[in-house]
Amino acid sequence: MFLRMIKGTLFRQWKKMIMIAFTIALGASLATAMLSVMLDVEDKVNQELKTYGANITVVPKESSVLNNLYEIEDGGSGGAYLREDELGKIKTIFWAFNIVDYAPFLNAKATLDDGSEITVVGTWFNHHIELPTGEQLDAGVVSMRSWWETESGEWLDEQGNADENSAMIGTALAYKLNLSAGDTLHVKGTKSDVTLKITGVYDAGGDEDDEIYVQLATAQKLDGLEGCIDSIEVSALTTPDNELAERAAKDPSSLTVSQYETWYCTAYVSSICYQIQEVITDSVASPVRQVADSEGAILEKTKLLMVLITILSLIGASLGICNLVTASVMERSGEIGLMKAIGAQNGAVSGLVLTEIFITAIVGGILGFFAGWGFAQIIGHSVFNSSINISPIVIPMVSVLVVIVTLIGSIPAIRMLLRLSPAEVLHGGR
Amino acid sequence: MKKRKMFLRMITASLMRRRSRMLVALLSIAIGATVLSGLVTIYYDVPRQMGAQFRNYGANMIFTAADEDFTYDDVEKGISQIDSGDIVGVAPYRYETVRIRETPVVAAGTNMEGAKATSPFWSVDGQWCSAPEEMLIGASIAEKYRLSVGDTVEVTYTPEEEAEDGEVTVDNFILFTVTGILDTGGSEEDYIYMSLDDLETLTGTGGNIDVAELSISASADALTSYMNKINQNVGAVNARLVKRVTASETTVLSKLQALVLLVTVVVLALTMICVATTMTAVVAERRKEIGLRKAIGASDKSIITEFMGESMLLGLLGGIIGSVLGFIFAQQVSINVFSSSISFRPLLVPVTILVSIAVTGLSSLMPVRSATDVDPALVLKGE
Amino acid sequence: MSLLELRNIYKIYGELHALDNVSLKVEKGEWVSIMGPSGSGKSTMMNIIGCMDKPTKGEVLLDGVDISKESAKNLTNVRRDKIGLIFQQFHLVNYLTALENVMLAQYYHSMPDEKEALEALDRVGLADRAKHLPSQLSGGEQQRVCVARALINYPEIILADEPTGNLDEANEAIVVDLFHKLHNEGTTLIVVTHDPEVAEVAQRTLVLRSGKLAKEVINENFTGQIKFDHE
Repeated sequence: MFLRMIKGTLFRQWKKMIMIAFTIALGASLATAMLSVMLDVEDKVNQELKTYGANITVVPKESSVLNNLYEIEDGGSGGAYLREDELGKIKTIFWAFNIVDYAPFLNAKATLDDGSEITVVGTWFNHHIELPTGEQLDAGVVSMRSWWETESGEWLDEQGNADENSAMIGTALAYKLNLSAGDTLHVKGTKSDVTLKITGVYDAGGDEDDEIYVQLATAQKLDGLEGCIDSIEVSALTTPDNELAERAAKDPSSLTVSQYETWYCTAYVSSICYQIQEVITDSVASPVRQVADSEGAILEKTKLLMVLITILSLIGASLGICNLVTASVMERSGEIGLMKAIGAQNGAVSGLVLTEIFITAIVGGILGFFAGWGFAQIIGHSVFNSSINISPIVIPMVSVLVVIVTLIGSIPAIRMLLRLSPAEVLHGGR
Repeated sequence: MKKRKMFLRMITASLMRRRSRMLVALLSIAIGATVLSGLVTIYYDVPRQMGAQFRNYGANMIFTAADEDFTYDDVEKGISQIDSGDIVGVAPYRYETVRIRETPVVAAGTNMEGAKATSPFWSVDGQWCSAPEEMLIGASIAEKYRLSVGDTVEVTYTPEEEAEDGEVTVDNFILFTVTGILDTGGSEEDYIYMSLDDLETLTGTGGNIDVAELSISASADALTSYMNKINQNVGAVNARLVKRVTASETTVLSKLQALVLLVTVVVLALTMICVATTMTAVVAERRKEIGLRKAIGASDKSIITEFMGESMLLGLLGGIIGSVLGFIFAQQVSINVFSSSISFRPLLVPVTILVSIAVTGLSSLMPVRSATDVDPALVLKGE
Repeated sequence: MSLLELRNIYKIYGELHALDNVSLKVEKGEWVSIMGPSGSGKSTMMNIIGCMDKPTKGEVLLDGVDISKESAKNLTNVRRDKIGLIFQQFHLVNYLTALENVMLAQYYHSMPDEKEALEALDRVGLADRAKHLPSQLSGGEQQRVCVARALINYPEIILADEPTGNLDEANEAIVVDLFHKLHNEGTTLIVVTHDPEVAEVAQRTLVLRSGKLAKEVINENFTGQIKFDHE
């Protein structure tokens, strides 16, 4: 009989029930969408922040990079180099998956025909790497120097028609030498010389504007440094540092075994640096504070912002559902007065009303979950051009929320219904 | 005239005497309005607040000498072209090659407060130097010379132009105390940093600087216009944007703003639908009353007018409450997330109120209309 | 010319003939009761007379004008101008005071006039309860507010549907007395009821059975005097 009564309400009062289900679905979809976006926003913004370039630099142990900020003087690399054949190993570390991009650099001193000295930088542009794991990756400065603008010509395309004489030239140098894309330039290195074909002129807004960028092998040949590189820039997705990470960065051996494991298995910039040092012989990997610290701050703020917006929308959704449940239960005072008049106990009445509402809530909640999943994807695709991962924790969170909210929404209504005296209702007091 | 009085009397009676029901409706409208005004305020404030966070990336404009000479006075002239509220920090730098233990080292003279503001990412082990004859040294320098915090070291400088009569040039030197070791992961680790005054004393020459770094909190367009203005009006200064910082900031910031916008739109749409369903429920509850009014001779139009008047009044109240709560919410968010207060947007108040009036009005219009279609006899008999 | 005339009225719901060829005349100032068991078509007739429903077939003449084909909107106007309704369930707006409920009828009719509304409440003996909400009034008092509301616009006909159905005897007496008073003032009254005691005080009682007019009883003892003794 109980089931029959519930079926009766659900089918005969379907309009009202649809409205409750609809509101719950809305609330649930809002909760799902916001929670999913909130939980994934860190990863997404982290990806975006990669436009700031590398957050880790790797240099030989013997001497750190001695490139000056403002072209004051160059102390030279002191004869210590990293090995080109070890580059692939960076993608084999524990946090390999978090390494989004990296590029080696070799600065070669070269002279022009008029005797003036220039810096020729050998690097990867869009180098195709096939890793031992079978993974494939396109890495290099095309993506790591996303702020460079090509003034004329095009990016040097390693996988396309570029040969080893191709080069890109900075806008300041191009202006000085009156060169543009398509021109050639003869440069002489310490060991050999080469006539470079300029594929493009870039504007970097920094001191790279006075340099020439060529493929790694070309620069190595100029100075006779085959297989050598000066430095590696690595762009990695990292977790903002905390106190543990700071302590570990100073001295990993100061940690206890379990702290060490936590640290090693978390994508802190310091642990990624540590792991890179493990695979690259005689290297020092250090975070580029300008990028790493700022990333941390921005990620944290974004996440906090999203958390607060999520809380606001969850409160909004909850109150909306509560409201409607209250309003629609109160509407049925007549029917419930009748049930009480013919002898229904308070418990039975509440049980009936609650069961009906919960069946409705479950249906609404499930629909809302999928709608919310859709909303999250819309947000992901239109803002970040990638889909939002729905973490499994969203499902229990939304379910608990829907149950609690529905329950809270029913309480005032049920209290009111229980206070009703059947006589009052049936005598048409209202 | 009297009819209007009765109209108002009915509406206020409905609002006041059906208090619990109306509170339910009002609550939902107020929530909607809160979400609207709160999120829109945040949406407009995000670029400014987030922009401030992006200043962590350091300087986004650099002044260099247009010709040979370039002094701090020229920098100040340049700064005067920029809205003072936008300036986060200015640090002048002068670079000289000095010697520590007879090996050359690049020394930078700067204003420490300015450096702290333009390069917030500098991590100093020890203290920033504040008194004369104190200095910061880069981590590579510290390692190379085995220096640590608290050590003292003699820095010498050989004046260049004195050598003309064949006299032995006398080296200048100052005994510096190392107050901190600088760790940046960049080339700054190869320099030593001291105050401009100390560097002037050391070299015996003053005035000129090599470069000034500016950190300005402004959009890419505003930065470009500042740059052009400075290059036009201040002859001695050549202003340049640090493209890496400005270009990336624009990319990321626009994504973030798009994110907040989209979230705002989704949350708003859903909240508005929530308000609408609540209003529908509240009105649907009163079908019987509508039937009665029709039975005693009310025209459809007058019933619709009354109900609309009532819901619009609710919308007005909800909108006012929502504007206040929304501002408080946005303020809390701003203080918690960005530790700065938010600017009040007066225009948002009427907009919030109008939107909530429109939403409540429209969402009660439909159920009222459908209720007036009903035969009064059926409504009065039924139940 | 009769104030109200029904000519061969049919109301058919599918197979069911709720009213089956009913004709009726009510003169101005008359007091008529309509009686009958449940399902006899009382309510249908009341709805048709009260301009809340239209017959399937037949004519309804009010003041000589056929209203059976009028649009719902015009029926609303007719109802507003010519008919005062009293319901079994009272149907007062529960958030308006007694006075405001009366004024509501004025508001839809023409102009709300607080003084006049108070006078109407005074006539039903409720002047001192004007500021009370329906929930603060007894059933009898609520029904009296309903009467005051029905007569405030000086309707041609007051149509009461089971006016005493929800009242105890004492209150029933008060309401019936009110009807006497209204009748003496010249108001046309049509009372639908299944309570013989209420029905027989009228001048004429029509009995409906299965949608047909079964019997018409003229009350020969009708004096127009107050019969119940109260207070």
